[in-house]
Amino acid sequence: MKMNQMARFGIVLGVICLTATLVLAVTYHITKPKIDEQMRLEERKALEAILPEADTFTEKSVDGIGYFEALKGDRLVGYCVRVTANGYGSFIRMVVGVKPDGVIEGVEIIENQETPGLGAKIDEQKPGEKRSRFLRQFEGKPAQSVEVKKNIDAITGATISSKAVTDAVREKVTEFLSKVKR
Amino acid sequence: MWGFGGRCNGVRLLGEFVKGLWRENPTFRIVLGLCPTLAVSTCVANGIGMGLAATFVLLGSNIFVSLVRNIVPEKVRIPCYIVIIATFVTIADLFMKAYSPLLSRALGMFVPLIVVNCIVLGRAEVFSSKEPLLKSILDALGMGLGFTWALILISAIRELLGNGTILGFSISRSFEPPLFMILAPGALLTIGILIGILNYFTMNPVRKLFSNGMKRSLK
Repeated sequence: MKMNQMARFGIVLGVICLTATLVLAVTYHITKPKIDEQMRLEERKALEAILPEADTFTEKSVDGIGYFEALKGDRLVGYCVRVTANGYGSFIRMVVGVKPDGVIEGVEIIENQETPGLGAKIDEQKPGEKRSRFLRQFEGKPAQSVEVKKNIDAITGATISSKAVTDAVREKVTEFLSKVKR
Repeated sequence: MWGFGGRCNGVRLLGEFVKGLWRENPTFRIVLGLCPTLAVSTCVANGIGMGLAATFVLLGSNIFVSLVRNIVPEKVRIPCYIVIIATFVTIADLFMKAYSPLLSRALGMFVPLIVVNCIVLGRAEVFSSKEPLLKSILDALGMGLGFTWALILISAIRELLGNGTILGFSISRSFEPPLFMILAPGALLTIGILIGILNYFTMNPVRKLFSNGMKRSLK
């Protein structure tokens, strides 16, 4: 009796889990191309927003740091570096545009899971604005100098998100610039 | 009236749908699913998105729990329901990421958290594990839409008072919005006061709900 019962439990659970797995595998497969495309679109929009004068972006990588070389014709306009920060919620994926001399052109956030209304303000733009007020602070500053309380104002009630972005930008871009010059 | 074997009739079926909207509203009456409600209702867009996503999950889960209700042994019913619910949540999450990335980004981690939304598991356990398919579908729709309008109301209040906007459109610049309205205290205050007001204006609601519940369990 007991063995029969346990067998029945196992079989029912097993069948349900198997069906669920199949359904999810199919769903994942169907949606993956679209999800990847959305990510690439987001990134592309970010690249064009940061360095609008460039007409080609070539994807490259140096020592594990992914970046884009932005060219106008044959002239190097700047670089767009992929930077990931550990935010309050989860990863914050960004693209940072730098001129070859190390000055930040702009920071665009691709993906973040910060608290809506607080940390998410790092990526919140008022209607008519291109970029959030927080991110605009980075423009025109040398990458190795950006620091909260020094020349970057954090967002009220979102210190962790603000610091995460600032520190990641400073460290990753400085590292990139030292590696790419070689 | 509808001729489903004479056991159901149109009015009773409609009642299964309508009860979730008001008399047994999951947020204000049964008081379930408060965790995502508190967290997500910071702006109307999030409220609508979460409400619709939860309704989709409720629908899927109620349908399949009702379909397997005679096959699943009682002792393993909770793991079975959770797997079914989690499957629909993942489907919703993947499709949202693919076709509505803005909303997906706005709701963030609270979409996966629909799995532990007490409304979903609650309806599976209390209703669709015991009721036939059509009733389960109507129950899911009613509860889901009830949850959605509750979310919209709460989010509208919090967004308006805490951010000066509705659906992102700036309504008033004449006051500096109190930040706490889009934080935890604002959520608790808004929901608490709303429940109080709704209770006050529907006289003796606790007694009514109790007597309805009694009538149902004695059937």
